[in-house]
Amino acid sequence: MSSAEKAYLNTRVAMMATQLLDPDAIGRLSQMQLPELAERFHLSSLLDDQLSAQSRSRAIEQTLIQVLLSELQILVRPMNAPERAIVLAWGRKYALFNLKTLIRGKLHDLDQKEIRDNLFDLPPNISLPDQDLFRAENVLELLRLLEAGPHSLIARQAREIYEQRREPFALEAAIDQRYYAGLVRQVMQFHDDNLQPLQHLIGTELDRIDLLWLLRFRFSYQLSPSETFFQLVPSLRLLHRERLLGLVNIETFQRVLESLPPPLDALLADSHTVIDVQRHMGRYVAHEARRILRHSPSGVARALAYLMLREMDLFLLYALVQGRLLNLSSEVVDIALEITEPTCPWAGAAGGTKAA
Amino acid sequence: MLRPRPMKHVRLLVLTEDLPQASLALAETESFHPDTRPPLESELSGLPGRDYRDTYHQARSRLDKIAKLIPGAQHPELSEVRVIELAELTGLNDWLGQIWEKTSRYEEDLRRLDDQDRFVREQEAALSNFQHLNIDLGMLRSKTRFLDFYVGIVPRENLRQLEGAVGLAGHLLHVYMQRGENAHVVIVGPTGTKEAQLSAVLNAAGFQPIPIPLELDQKPEEIRGDLDAQRKDIRAQREALHQRLSDWSAGFLDRLVEARRTLMLAEPLVSLDPSLRSAGHLARLAGWVPAREVERLTARLRESLAMPFEIQSRDPLAEERKLVPTVPVKNRLLQPFALLVNQYGIPEYGEVDPTPLFAVTFLLMFGSMFGDVGQGAVIAALAWYFRAKLNRFWLFGLLAGLASMFFGFLYGSLFGYEDVLPALWMSPIHDPILMLKIALGYGVVFLVLACLLAIFNRAVIGNWWGAVFGHHGLVNLVFYLSLVWGGLNLGIQGAFGTAPAILVVATLAALAWYNWRHLDAPVGEKVLVVFIETLETVIGYVSNTLSFLRVAAFSLNHVALSIAVFTLANMMGSFGHVVTVILGNVFVLVLEGGIVMIQVMRLQYYEGFSRYFSGEGHAFAPLRLRHGSAPS
Repeated sequence: MSSAEKAYLNTRVAMMATQLLDPDAIGRLSQMQLPELAERFHLSSLLDDQLSAQSRSRAIEQTLIQVLLSELQILVRPMNAPERAIVLAWGRKYALFNLKTLIRGKLHDLDQKEIRDNLFDLPPNISLPDQDLFRAENVLELLRLLEAGPHSLIARQAREIYEQRREPFALEAAIDQRYYAGLVRQVMQFHDDNLQPLQHLIGTELDRIDLLWLLRFRFSYQLSPSETFFQLVPSLRLLHRERLLGLVNIETFQRVLESLPPPLDALLADSHTVIDVQRHMGRYVAHEARRILRHSPSGVARALAYLMLREMDLFLLYALVQGRLLNLSSEVVDIALEITEPTCPWAGAAGGTKAA
Repeated sequence: MLRPRPMKHVRLLVLTEDLPQASLALAETESFHPDTRPPLESELSGLPGRDYRDTYHQARSRLDKIAKLIPGAQHPELSEVRVIELAELTGLNDWLGQIWEKTSRYEEDLRRLDDQDRFVREQEAALSNFQHLNIDLGMLRSKTRFLDFYVGIVPRENLRQLEGAVGLAGHLLHVYMQRGENAHVVIVGPTGTKEAQLSAVLNAAGFQPIPIPLELDQKPEEIRGDLDAQRKDIRAQREALHQRLSDWSAGFLDRLVEARRTLMLAEPLVSLDPSLRSAGHLARLAGWVPAREVERLTARLRESLAMPFEIQSRDPLAEERKLVPTVPVKNRLLQPFALLVNQYGIPEYGEVDPTPLFAVTFLLMFGSMFGDVGQGAVIAALAWYFRAKLNRFWLFGLLAGLASMFFGFLYGSLFGYEDVLPALWMSPIHDPILMLKIALGYGVVFLVLACLLAIFNRAVIGNWWGAVFGHHGLVNLVFYLSLVWGGLNLGIQGAFGTAPAILVVATLAALAWYNWRHLDAPVGEKVLVVFIETLETVIGYVSNTLSFLRVAAFSLNHVALSIAVFTLANMMGSFGHVVTVILGNVFVLVLEGGIVMIQVMRLQYYEGFSRYFSGEGHAFAPLRLRHGSAPS
């Protein structure tokens, strides 16, 4: 990237970063009702009474993703090929959502329209060539198409799931694993000043993912250490391969948290459920991303950090909209927005796992 | 030729029952470019073509999938043009669905055979590898009292992670061979309780066990023979399957061809879908039609439609200009140049089509920069020889070659030899200063022409301020001509001259005033921006004019390169001389020819198009009956 393009990218990122929500803004948002939210974020479908709450929610989700991806498109414009590749690879997670929806829909023999309604509209450079998959008329055809395409490695698992009538958990885990492994490969393509900040940023995100997966697989799904390790993607930062090999062998939830390297051990010292860990790790990733956004000399790392933070904000906004659409109480919405800590007894049990 | 073909906006109201017929009639005229804007009338909110479109796409997808296994005519001739109603399309779609279901089973069987074949190949590779091992392979065949063995293949991508995972289950993984995307591995570990978890990991990693035959240690040839027999058997099964498929499909091959025709006839209505709206039984569609075709289109609709219809046409509105499509150049000679123009952009409606000017100036510049009878003839001959591969582009090569030959005759140059052909004018090297002066003069004419076109393009759409004060507008042109006038005075009389100096200052002042008025910024910023923009105008015109010196520079360069080749050739013996001259000419043709081409394109795009050509239009793509291609 030339210095002019670098300056352009940095300016763009700096301008876009002014939209990021600080805790005060989130507090103000939590007070807003649907009409105010619709006006403030240009979400006209929120007020369309002819749509069901589910359709409205779906339309809002699609709109928010489009906001994120359109900003991504603007940011990749001045980037050179490897920089653009990593940012697009990050955004491709939404294409993988589509792939999972397609596979799940076909495996459960859902109607074409129902599947189509649950697919995201994505820009061409993000979307996968999934039109052929969509047109598949039965599972076997879908499996053949998977085997012939870039997802051939997961096709075998898909076939096994279909033939043995199993839940597609392993398949979706394999898709996620391949996604993150691909991101790591993209980072390692850099041999310049971008390498270190990107390693830091993607490594932090992978630390979060690995820890959550490890805890869920080991203590919620009761998978063996080998199975758990196989599904993880060694991080570029704290939870590298050797450390993961050690952690998966630990038999209790609390001991895993105690064995984490600093600063994760201190950060998670008072966590007792996966939900606690998820919340703390989310804040940790946001903190690290903000640090990179403010101080990193790498334009691509700053752009990616911005997109990650923006995605978190949009998810928060989506949670708020969902809460309003479902008429949830403000206490529940505040918990979802992380304005207040969950103190009610069911908060941990609903999605979390108590220490073994 | 320079002006775009006048277009009309046409609105057609028909009864929904007549839509398939109307779409067919419009497609036959090949003059209707759909306008996809929704109508202003809120009552027209229905989407009458939606079911038709969805049915078409599914049928089309099924036919394409079937055609991969049962090859049939992809582009059959349309013997008769008839209306395809939704009921017929639905019936066809259902039938194709049944055929595809059966064809899909054949495809699945073929896939299974491919899988088996691939696995036998992997086995062959593994066994030939085992032959060289100095171990008792019987040990690997089954688990022993204390040890488990797994021999098989795993995708290389999963290898590293699998190694760690089996390690956690107390096993070791050894890679003994890598083939393509697979790695052949042996996994060994203690027999015990961890078998189940290992098996889950192996499944997740896509591990495929390879059986080790009993006789491997003693009779490898027999095993190889056995594997050969397996492959022959698979081949035979595949042939039998293809034969069964062929026998089964023989009964409906004609119907498949007919299905393709039906879909080709249904395609126009599907292409129209985005511009179709309806209210009750009334359907509305709109589009752009060349003005002179409107009458023919109306007559064709009158002939075809049984029910009443209404057609209205009007001139495009000023605010619609960007939506009006531009009819592409039809002239055969200009078509390859149009391709290059379209690389930059398509002329906006109302804008001058630069293709003819581009063609003439391109040939002039290329010929003058690369003037050689022999090398030009080679370019023309190559373009002729490869005309099938180059498609429409071969004419471009031919004309470039002829232009080079023309200037070659003027320069008296044949494959670099200056003394074989008498020059009709002179060799560039004989008077380089004259060549530079001509190039400069050519540059001035080119830039003046570009400014005139920019002024015209703005005036024609009523953008008078832009035509007078805009970039490369009238004031810019007067400034530039005054600058040239003053420059000439300076060269001839040694002084710039009062009149041109006054004109230069006045025009620059006018431009500065215009910029100042149109800037919305603090005074300090305004001063800075106006100063920089005014300076940029002066520097820009001077540097752009000097940029054309490269036309002369390359004509001189061509001669200089030839002299270098001959100097080298003269240092050789007679055979070496011939070889050097031939290789030198090839070098000049490829390297200098390529560079000259790039330089000419640069002058065209940067000095020409960036001044007067917006390229923001879109091409006229009328509805038509296509042969074997789907609408997007």
